[in-house]
Amino acid sequence: MTDDKILEVNHLCKYFSSGKKSVMKAVDDVSFFVKRGETFGLVGESGCGKTTTGRTIIRLYKPTSGEVIFNGKRIDGRLSKEDSRAVTSKMQMIFQDPIASLNPRMTVEEIICEGAKINKLFPDKESMRKRMYEMLDLVGLTREHATRYPHEFSGGQRQRIGIARALITQPDMIIADEPISALDVSIQAQVLNLLNDLRKDLGLTILFIAHDLSVVKYFSDRVAVMNRGRIVELSSASQVYDHPVHPYTKSLLSAIPIPNPRVEKQRKRVDYDPGMHGYDASNQPSMYEIEPGHFVFLSEKEFADAKKQLAAQ
Amino acid sequence: MSKKQKIEAAKKAFAEQEALRLQNLENAKTERLSEDDCTFVQMDEKLHDQKFEHEPISFYKDAWLRFKQNKASIVAAAIILVIVLMAIFAPVFSGTSYREQHTEFGVLPPRIPYLENLGIADGCRTMEIQKSVLDTYGDAVVEVIREYNQYYRGKPIPMVEAKVNQYILKGADDYYFFFGTDNLGRDLWVRLWRGTRISLIIGVCSVLINCFIGVVYGAVSGYYGGKVDMLMQRIIEILGGVPFLVMAILFVMFLGAGIRSFILVLIITGWIGMSRMIRAQFFRYKDYEYVLASRTMGASDRRLIFRHILPNAIGPIITQATFAVPSAIFSESFLSYLGLGIQAPEPSIGVLLAEGQGSLTTSPHLTLFPAIVVSLLMLSFNLFGNGLRDAFDPRARGSE
Ligand SMILES: Nc1ncnc2c1ncn2[C@@H]1O[C@H](COP(=O)(O)OP(=O)(O)OP(=O)(O)O)[C@@H](O)[C@H]1O
Ligand SMILES: [Mg+2]
Repeated sequence: MTDDKILEVNHLCKYFSSGKKSVMKAVDDVSFFVKRGETFGLVGESGCGKTTTGRTIIRLYKPTSGEVIFNGKRIDGRLSKEDSRAVTSKMQMIFQDPIASLNPRMTVEEIICEGAKINKLFPDKESMRKRMYEMLDLVGLTREHATRYPHEFSGGQRQRIGIARALITQPDMIIADEPISALDVSIQAQVLNLLNDLRKDLGLTILFIAHDLSVVKYFSDRVAVMNRGRIVELSSASQVYDHPVHPYTKSLLSAIPIPNPRVEKQRKRVDYDPGMHGYDASNQPSMYEIEPGHFVFLSEKEFADAKKQLAAQ
Repeated sequence: MSKKQKIEAAKKAFAEQEALRLQNLENAKTERLSEDDCTFVQMDEKLHDQKFEHEPISFYKDAWLRFKQNKASIVAAAIILVIVLMAIFAPVFSGTSYREQHTEFGVLPPRIPYLENLGIADGCRTMEIQKSVLDTYGDAVVEVIREYNQYYRGKPIPMVEAKVNQYILKGADDYYFFFGTDNLGRDLWVRLWRGTRISLIIGVCSVLINCFIGVVYGAVSGYYGGKVDMLMQRIIEILGGVPFLVMAILFVMFLGAGIRSFILVLIITGWIGMSRMIRAQFFRYKDYEYVLASRTMGASDRRLIFRHILPNAIGPIITQATFAVPSAIFSESFLSYLGLGIQAPEPSIGVLLAEGQGSLTTSPHLTLFPAIVVSLLMLSFNLFGNGLRDAFDPRARGSE
C-alpha cells in the first residue's frame, strides 16, 4: 500500500429538494480520501447518506457542492468523453439489491459484458467472451451459466454476477454499496471472502459501504462513521473499534453481537441521542485530529474532554 | 426541565450505558474463544457452483409457457384468427361483390347448403297471407302452419300463416346467400366479412399508431422527468379534455367519412392511455439498480431507454394494445351507428348494424350476424388480452 490517493472527496454536499421549501441534506460537507489498494469502510445507520455518497462519487447524482478527485482528476461536473470513459471503466459499483441490480431480460453474458461493450474495451467478440469466461471463473461460476437469465440464480450467485460485471473493465476502484446486507447470513461470508480474495489478488481499491461495524472491521483498513449526512469519526479500523471517541460510534459498536453466548447475554446497547451534545451557535462541532490519523467531529469542549479520556486509557 | 438539564440527563444516561459496555468488553476479553478452538474446513480449493441441468428460460419462453395453460385465451386466439382469415379471404372467394345489387332478390333470409335440409337456414320465412292469393305463391309455399280469420271492419278475412321459401318465390333458386341479403339484394355474407375487414383495419391501424405515439411520448416524458414531463403532461390534459364525440364529428365533417378520417379520429386522443402507462413504467424503472449500473458504465440514454427500461414495458404494451383493438372497433361501430359511418356502398360492422336495425323485426338476420361477429371480436380480444396479461405478469392475475 502506498500513500498515493486514488480518491479524494472534499466538502461534498448533496441536497435533495422536494418541493420549494424542504431540503433533505443527504450528504453534508463530507471529506475523506482513499489510498490506492486499501479498503475504506463507510458505516452508518440506514438513511444516513452512505448510498448517496457512493452514488455522487460515481456520478450518478450531481453534487450540490464540493469536489471529487479520482486518479488525480476532478470528476464532478461535466467531463469530456475521454475523461468520462476513465471514470466509467476505472470506477465500478456493486449494488445492494441482488434482484434489482441485474436486468431480468438479459443473459448473464450480456450483463457481464455490458461495461466492456459500452467502453469498447475489446477489439472483437472472441476476446471479450474469453475475458467474460475468466470473470465467471473468478467469481466461482461456470461457463454454462453464461447463457442463463438472472432469475435462475440465488441471491449470492447474483451478487457474484454483479461482481463479475464490475470487474470486467479492470477497474482501479470498486464502490461496494452494502453488497451483503440483502443476502442470507449463510451466503454473506461467501461474497465477503470473494471480495477479500479479489482485493488481494487484483490489488483493488474498495470503498465498502455497510451499516454494520462488525463486517467493516473484518474487511477494512480505515473506517469513516457517518451520521445524518456527516462523517463523525474517521480512523483506522482497529482504532475505531478499540478506542471509539464519538458517542455515535460507541453506540454503533454496542450493537455488535459478541460470538460468545455467556457474554452476549449481558451485552447492553448504548443509545445515542443527538440532543446530548447540546450544540448551539457558540458551541459548534468541527473535525479534530485526536490521534494521528484519527479524526472526530466534536465541539471544542467535547474534544478536550475526549482527549483527556483517551490519554487516561 | 430546562434544556440544559435535559442535555445533562442524556449525557449521564449515556455515560452509565457506556460503562456497562466497557465492562462487557472486558468480560468478552477474558471469555473470548481462542483461535485454536476453530479450524478451517476448506481453504485451498477453489469452489465452483454447479451448472444447471434444465434449459435456459427466457422471458418470452416463460410467458408462452404460461399463456399455453390458459384455455380460454387459446380459444379466443383461435376465434380471432378465424375471423381475421374470413375477413381476408371470404370476400375474395365468393362470386359476388359487396356492392353488387340484385334488387329482385331483396331481403332474402339465410340459405346454406346442407343445413337447409335440416330446416335451418333454408331460405324460408313465415308469412301471413290472405288465403285467396295463396295459390299465386305456387311452389314457394313449403308448409301451411295454421289458418285463421282476421277481422277487418267486422268482416272475417280468411288468412293463412305459411312457411314460404323466399328463394323460390323470388326466382333465386340457384343462389345460396349464407347470411341472406339486404334490401338492395346485396350478399350479407360478403358485406359482413368485408365490413369486418374494414373494422379490423381501422382498429389495428389506429392501435398501432397509438402505440407508437404513446410509447415515444411516454418514454420521453418519463425518462427526462422534471420540467419536460410537466409540460408534456399539461398538453395531454388539455387534449384529454376535448370531448371525443365533438372532435369525431368535426373530423368526419371536414375530412369526409372514410377509413383515414376514422383512424385519425381514433388517434387524436387514443394514444394518451398508452403514453401514461409507459411514463409510469419509466418512472418506476429508471432508478432501478440495473439501470443505474448500466449508467455508471457510461451507457447512452438510447441504450438505457431501449435496452433496459422499455423491455419491461413490452408485456403491458402488448396487453394494452390487445385491449385497445376491440374498443377501437367498438368506437367505429358506435360512430357508424350514429350515422357518421363509412361512405355508402362500403360496409363496416357498425354500418351494417345501423342498416339492419330498421328491419329488426321483419328480417332479424341483417342485425343478428354483424352483432354476433362484433360480440365475438370483443369477447375474444378481451379474453386474449387477459391471457397475455397473465402470461406477461403473473402477479396481476385476476386483477381488474
Ligand atoms: N433521490 C432522492 N430524493 C430525495 N431524497 C433522497 C433521495 N435519495 C436518498 N434520499 C434521502 O437521503 C437520505 C439518505 O439516503 P441514502 O440512501 O443515502 O441512505 P443510506 O445510508 O444508503 O441508507 P441505507 O442503509 O438504508 O441504504 C435518506 O433520508 C433518503 O430519504
Ligand atoms: Mg443505501
